[in-house]
Amino acid sequence: MIESQRHSFHLVDPSPWPISGSLGALATTVGGVMYMHPFQGGATLLSLGLIFILYTMFVWWRDVLRESTLEGHHTKVVQLGPRYGSIPFIVSEVMFLFAFFRASSHSSLAPTVEIGGIWPPKGIGVLDPREIPFLNTPILLSSGAAVTWAHHAILAGKEKRAVYALVATVSLALVFTGFQGMEYYQAPFTISDSIYGSTFFLATGFHGFHVIIGTLFLIICGIRQYLGHLTKEHHVGFEAAAWYWHFVDVVRLFLFVSIYWWGGI
Amino acid sequence: MATALVRSRLLRTALRGGARGSAAPAPRRSFSSSSQQHDEYETAKWEKITYLGIATCSVLAFYNLSKGHPHHEEPPAYPYLHIRNKEFPWGPDGLFEDKKHH
Repeated sequence: MIESQRHSFHLVDPSPWPISGSLGALATTVGGVMYMHPFQGGATLLSLGLIFILYTMFVWWRDVLRESTLEGHHTKVVQLGPRYGSIPFIVSEVMFLFAFFRASSHSSLAPTVEIGGIWPPKGIGVLDPREIPFLNTPILLSSGAAVTWAHHAILAGKEKRAVYALVATVSLALVFTGFQGMEYYQAPFTISDSIYGSTFFLATGFHGFHVIIGTLFLIICGIRQYLGHLTKEHHVGFEAAAWYWHFVDVVRLFLFVSIYWWGGI
Repeated sequence: MATALVRSRLLRTALRGGARGSAAPAPRRSFSSSSQQHDEYETAKWEKITYLGIATCSVLAFYNLSKGHPHHEEPPAYPYLHIRNKEFPWGPDGLFEDKKHH
């Protein structure tokens, strides 16, 4: 990669991708509502919206990599943009997942008569929190340790070590997802089995989805580290991935304590 | 006069980043004050923590998988279980809801 330019100005080109992404999101939302209700053409609009968003993601990230890695336009002041952007993004993710925790505690703190007045509802065979849930939590925490290892290796200029550390991070993440899949496969209840199944699969499922997103994010960082895109002084993409990964880790701790453990006994 | 002098010195110290004074080395990275040695020490430390985590998880995984999983009995057909309000485009059940193999 070339060194960032040695001035303190924000000299990146205006980008069409924010508005194109917004239009894709609008088409996806409207198409999604149309698809789930009796409207003609909902599936088409939904598919077009999703394709539009995926296309925008591809070209936007392609442009960011070009202007930072190849053109050296990501000066210190330009790096502040994605840094400040990551914070509200993660905060919004916290609020998103908080809603599912709230739904779960709302339903479990005062169980209604419709589910037998008890939590877990009568007839629900819950998962033992001491089995896969207790195994998967330290797996994800170890993955968090490995990403910290990668971060210090990048800062110390140990490029190969950083690649190894990211391979360890991603491997642990994949093992986590594998065990989560096994847990879902063995679960004696489904998402349509009472409010317990709904809140359980909504919360753990969205967390699992975030683990998959974080894994993809870290795979990209690993490839970029291998290609020499990340340097001691400039690795904003990696830092954002590490923040995201720690966020996913913390959510897992709350899931384990409140949904698997407290909500399952 | 004296107050103004004190105030300007205070301001200068604050702007310079506390009591470090002019002897402090210029920061290498704008978001970290760590040194090379410190980073190498931390790299080695977190590498060990990762290995310890992997070892612990392997033992836990071995223990877990050797136990097998419990089989639950089919619960009575309570109205709040197996809820069906309307069909999916592919049929009455969710894509991952087939539980007959257990």
